[in-house]
Amino acid sequence: MPEMPRPAADRPAADRPADPGLARARTDLAWIRTAIAFAALGGVVLKNHPVPGLAILALSALIWALGRLAGTTSAPRNRSRSLLVITVAVTAVSLTALVISLLSPGPAPLR
Amino acid sequence: MGGGRGVRSTDGSGGVTGRPEEPAAAGGAEPDARFSFANERTFLAWNRTALALVAAGLGIAQLLPPFPGLPWGRHIIGTPLIVLGSAIAVVSYLEWRANQRALRRGEPPHNSRLPVVLTVTIAVVGLAAAILVLISGPRAG
Repeated sequence: MPEMPRPAADRPAADRPADPGLARARTDLAWIRTAIAFAALGGVVLKNHPVPGLAILALSALIWALGRLAGTTSAPRNRSRSLLVITVAVTAVSLTALVISLLSPGPAPLR
Repeated sequence: MGGGRGVRSTDGSGGVTGRPEEPAAAGGAEPDARFSFANERTFLAWNRTALALVAAGLGIAQLLPPFPGLPWGRHIIGTPLIVLGSAIAVVSYLEWRANQRALRRGEPPHNSRLPVVLTVTIAVVGLAAAILVLISGPRAG
C-alpha cells in the first residue's frame, strides 16, 4: 500500500487506521456497477416482458439504495445481509430468465 | 486483552458477540477494513458476472433467430449460461462468507473454484455453439 504513510503491518492491529481510504470508494463504485448491471438487464427484459422487466428495475433501485447505505455505515455488521440480498436477487433474476427462455417463444426464423 | 491469533477485537464496530453467523468464540477479530472491502468487491464482481451470463443466456434464447432445423439449439446454448449465473450468485456468497471468516482468523483466503467452473462452462458452451452452427442446415434464402 504505497499511499499509506506507514505500512499497517508495522503497527499493532489496534493502531491501524479506521479509515480504509480509497478502498471504500472502490467498493461504492462496485455497488453502483452492480446496480447498473441490474438496470441494463431490466431494460432488456422490459422490451418483451414488461412485468419481470419492471421487477428487475426495482431490484436495481433497491441495490443502488443498499450500496448507498453500505457506504455510509462503516460497520460491516449489516453488510452480510446486504450481500445476501444481492445473491437472492441474482438468483431470482436467473430463475425468471430461465422461465422466460423456456416458456416464451423466441423470434421466428429469418426468411 | 488480545484475541488469540495476533488480532484483537478493537472498537465498537468489532463487537462480534451478537453476530449470529459468527460466535465470538470461533470468530477472531474484525479484519482490516480494506480486506473486507476487497472481499466485498470480489463478491460484487462475481455477481455482475452472473448477471452478464443471465443476460447472455436470455438474449440467446429470446433475441436470436432459431438455428435452421434445430429449434432447441438456442436453449442448448442459453440455458447453461443462465443456470451458471444462478450458481455463481450462490457460490460467490458462500465464498465471501468463508473468506470473511478466514480474514477474521488470520488464515489465508480460500481458493475459489468459480474461475475453473466459469472457464469450463464457457468453453463447452462455445464448442456447442460451434457444433450447432456446423450441423444446422443452411439458412434458406
